[in-house]
Amino acid sequence: MQNVLAMMLQLVSNQTPRPISTSDPSIWHHIADALQQSLDRVLLLLVAILPGILAFSAALAVFTLIGMALSALLRRGLTVAKFDEHIAHGRGNVDWAPSTSPTALIARVSFWGCVLLGLIIGVSAFDASYATAAMLPNSLLPYLTHVVGAAILLIAGTLIARFLARSVLIGAVNEQLQYARFLSLGIKWLVLVLTAAMVLEHLQIGGNIVGLAFGILFGGIVLTLALAVGLGSRDLVSRSLESHVEHPSTTPPTASPDDSIRHF
Amino acid sequence: MVTADPNSGVTSPSAPPGNGLLVVFAAMTPEQLEGAFANLTASFPHEELIIASPDAILDAFATDAHPLFRIVPAPASHSAWNITAADFVSAYQLADKHKARAVLMLGPECGSLDSSSLRKLSDAVLGSADSIDLAVPCYELSPHAGLVNSAILYPLTRALFASSVRFPLAVDLGLSLRMAKRMADAALHFTAINQGETPLWPVNEATIAGFAIDQFNVGPSVQSAGPDLNTIFPLVIGPLFADINAKATFWQRFRPLPPVHNAVPMPLALIPDSATDIAPMLSAFRLAYTNLHEIWSLVLPPNSLLSLKRLTITDTPAFRISDSLWARIVYDFLLAYRLRTINRGHLLGALIPLYLAWVASHLNITASGSDSEEHIEAVAAAFETEKTYMVSRWRWPDRFNP
Repeated sequence: MQNVLAMMLQLVSNQTPRPISTSDPSIWHHIADALQQSLDRVLLLLVAILPGILAFSAALAVFTLIGMALSALLRRGLTVAKFDEHIAHGRGNVDWAPSTSPTALIARVSFWGCVLLGLIIGVSAFDASYATAAMLPNSLLPYLTHVVGAAILLIAGTLIARFLARSVLIGAVNEQLQYARFLSLGIKWLVLVLTAAMVLEHLQIGGNIVGLAFGILFGGIVLTLALAVGLGSRDLVSRSLESHVEHPSTTPPTASPDDSIRHF
Repeated sequence: MVTADPNSGVTSPSAPPGNGLLVVFAAMTPEQLEGAFANLTASFPHEELIIASPDAILDAFATDAHPLFRIVPAPASHSAWNITAADFVSAYQLADKHKARAVLMLGPECGSLDSSSLRKLSDAVLGSADSIDLAVPCYELSPHAGLVNSAILYPLTRALFASSVRFPLAVDLGLSLRMAKRMADAALHFTAINQGETPLWPVNEATIAGFAIDQFNVGPSVQSAGPDLNTIFPLVIGPLFADINAKATFWQRFRPLPPVHNAVPMPLALIPDSATDIAPMLSAFRLAYTNLHEIWSLVLPPNSLLSLKRLTITDTPAFRISDSLWARIVYDFLLAYRLRTINRGHLLGALIPLYLAWVASHLNITASGSDSEEHIEAVAAAFETEKTYMVSRWRWPDRFNP
């Protein structure tokens, strides 16, 4: 037992740490090594994906230039061939707006077609380069397609929301509803909330929380609208009911002020 | 009267009976049909006529009343309030089939017209030497009736197509055979794409073709309760704007009003039954200014918007839309229709409150003692004056935006 204790004391006295000094060159050496390795890894990663990025950019740039040239060529050729006039003659001498003439449409479609082709080829080139490098996380490229899909959803949803909001606003104003703007805003936000939920779902962000939050928010908006319309038109409904109870279909409905007007 | 051709074996119609007039009835109720038939009988007491009607009831009805009239079936009309593209196509096909020399198209209320009016319309298009290709009626209406026509259809047609026809969308028309063919050709474009219910604009077509047009005073016309304004307004104004868009190369040149063949005295505006309350129309306009300002600002230039803003705070008795402002508003909407600045359905919907404001202004003017027809003529003159504005904006929509 005494021997054991003596050995332990000897070990402790031997393992007493030396004081760390910043002037010790070995520490800096380790740090420098670690940084060098990190930098090397980053550079390697960059080197691995750089050809892909370059290929993508080159494909996009080349096809954009081709699109511009093709568009200009088509525009000039169709103008010389009086394409618009031929089409207009066939459709009963339609006078095209400058931005919607067939020539402009064809030129625009050809340009954007080339840009789209460049994008597809660029992504393919990037994909090929990435597959060989295999240093990026495996889920990055598929996720990019989700992002593109989400962006399309967002744009479509915003356009639909604006269209429906305007339709409701104009219809409600022409029906002389005082809460036309409120109704229009309600429709707009309903569609936008729906779009946002779809986009998040598509991006796989939030999981069930998004669905739940969307349900609560959507239900809340509908309930708010229902309460607003119901409370706002309460007097109107009660007056209408009272008039039916007091004069049960014996008196004709009062003529509206502009009944004597014939618009057509 | 159909005879068989012995050589070809194909049936071909013989010479037309009587004066070669084909009368085409619109779809009518039995009461309207009775009135129309009575008017026709009074106008053509001793003549053979071919009458095309979608109502089978007319056949038995006419055989007893007027044996000289021959009833032939016609396709049912798409609309009761105007003549559609499909109606023009079927009218010409019937005229061609029965070798008619002219076509008289009659609307549901033709029974209420002067008894001589049908004769006037048909004689004009049946004349051999100095014939008219398009005979249009000129109705005598209350100042509270036909307001879309007074506000938009007539002034636009007069300013752009140099035609003084007071009712360009009349439902009673006399057409020569070549005019009927021209209309059928124009209508084929719409029927081919399954839009046979689109209204056509015979005055515009006749003007472009260089055909002779004349209008005839047909007296007062009974006005039945029309369809809802919000529904029908885009259905009329949209096709008119589209037609103007299609014929831009024609109307951009200056053309003076041609002298009329048969000067028609201006129809006397009938005295309205009662004063109309314009407050609901003004409140609709004010509500629209609050809510649709954003949409209007996409279509109208700042000057017009400023004028509209002033109008929203004007008292009801003093409410007046100047003729030039109204002309510019209509022209700006026409331009926006062409450029598709916003959805065309939205655009036409946004024009309705402005039209109601014009109606309120017009009723205010007539209530103050001014003659309704004089005001409508002043509006049409303003459209003619502002045509240069329209042409400038049409040609350079981005550069010329006051």
